[in-house]
Amino acid sequence: MRYWKELVKGIWSRNPQLVIGLGFCPTLAVSTSLSNALWMTLAVIFVLVGSNLIISSVRKIVPGHLRIPIFITIIASFVTVVDLLLEAYQPEVYRSLGIFIPLIVVNCIILGRAEEFAQKNGVFPSVLDGIGMGIGFGLTLAVLAAIREVLGANRLFGYPLVQGMEPAAVMIMAPGAFFTLAFMLWAMNAINARKKGK
Amino acid sequence: MIRDILKPTLIIVAVAFICVMALSQVQKLTAPEIAKRALEKQQQSLDLVLPGFDIGPARTAPVDGRDFTWWEGEKREDGEARKGYAFIVRGAGYGGDIESMVGVDEKGVILGLSIIQQAETPGLGDRCVEVAHRETLFDHIRGGIPNGDLPNEPLTPWFQNQFKGVDAGARISIARRGDWNPEMRESLLALNAVSALTGASITTEAVVRSVERGMALLVKARAAAAGKGAEAKQ
Repeated sequence: MRYWKELVKGIWSRNPQLVIGLGFCPTLAVSTSLSNALWMTLAVIFVLVGSNLIISSVRKIVPGHLRIPIFITIIASFVTVVDLLLEAYQPEVYRSLGIFIPLIVVNCIILGRAEEFAQKNGVFPSVLDGIGMGIGFGLTLAVLAAIREVLGANRLFGYPLVQGMEPAAVMIMAPGAFFTLAFMLWAMNAINARKKGK
Repeated sequence: MIRDILKPTLIIVAVAFICVMALSQVQKLTAPEIAKRALEKQQQSLDLVLPGFDIGPARTAPVDGRDFTWWEGEKREDGEARKGYAFIVRGAGYGGDIESMVGVDEKGVILGLSIIQQAETPGLGDRCVEVAHRETLFDHIRGGIPNGDLPNEPLTPWFQNQFKGVDAGARISIARRGDWNPEMRESLLALNAVSALTGASITTEAVVRSVERGMALLVKARAAAAGKGAEAKQ
């Protein structure tokens, strides 16, 4: 039961973007299309689970004041692995995500989970935490991307939705991302506040 | 004291060493695949920009102190031998250089353009490689376009497609007509123009200007190569 909690907390109660407030940069940048969002989620889950796994298993031998450079080295290695694998086996995805794959290194969710969770907990809960947080990140990203792609490009998964309708281009640009994310944060806070009130 | 310095140093070195070893293994694993993809992509691009041409090996000639590489192709059409030239151009986009391959005929009219490398903003500039679907998502789920009256066009990226027929030797203008479709071809070609990517004028500008520059370099490079050939004969 305790483990189950570690897995599901990332999806709602400790959602990385909407509750903890981390990882806004990739969320804003990659949410222009749903397929980009899904590939980004896979890449982040891979890095997050891998880094949580390694960091939680070496946590007892890493001296406290050295932990940041060591964690970053481990995270950067996993990101490089994702980068190389995508370039070799998914060149289309690699091309469309471009710079945002290497930038996973500086995604604060990953270092945040290493600091807050993996270095204090065992291997198994850390892996579950990574999976849950990754899914939570992905869900927020996917909802945002779906809204932006439908309204801003009149498309979903790259397919047009309504023939001949002019989409609201502002939604695909940066302001659209900020507005939509703000509405999602508002909705999340409103629901949680109402729950607490009861 | 010495332990305070030595121990952390050794730990950091060990971590870095292990990570680098692991990464070099992954790189060894993926390098041939990546190289193969790059070569495939180049060949595909050549076939795309010089369709139906017999393409010879790459040629190089110095232009303005730099080496310029191009490919020459030949094709027989209506009993006449026609020549085509392909070259790679680079232009500074919004997220680094955009590399494209361009194919032109003897008069400098573009036969095809293919963007090989770009790191433009997803959803805006990177739509320069987007493939236009005419089928809507509902059509796709239902299985194809209902009445099937749309032409069976090959799925090529519309932004690149619209360069076909544009004169690379003259100035190419940029029109703002939204997403290109085959019906726009006539009116745009009359202006020697391409339709810009919405919200990504820097990307459009980068590709268009790099094509113009590349065309000028090709003319110079061919002249230089011809000059050298003449010298060699003398």
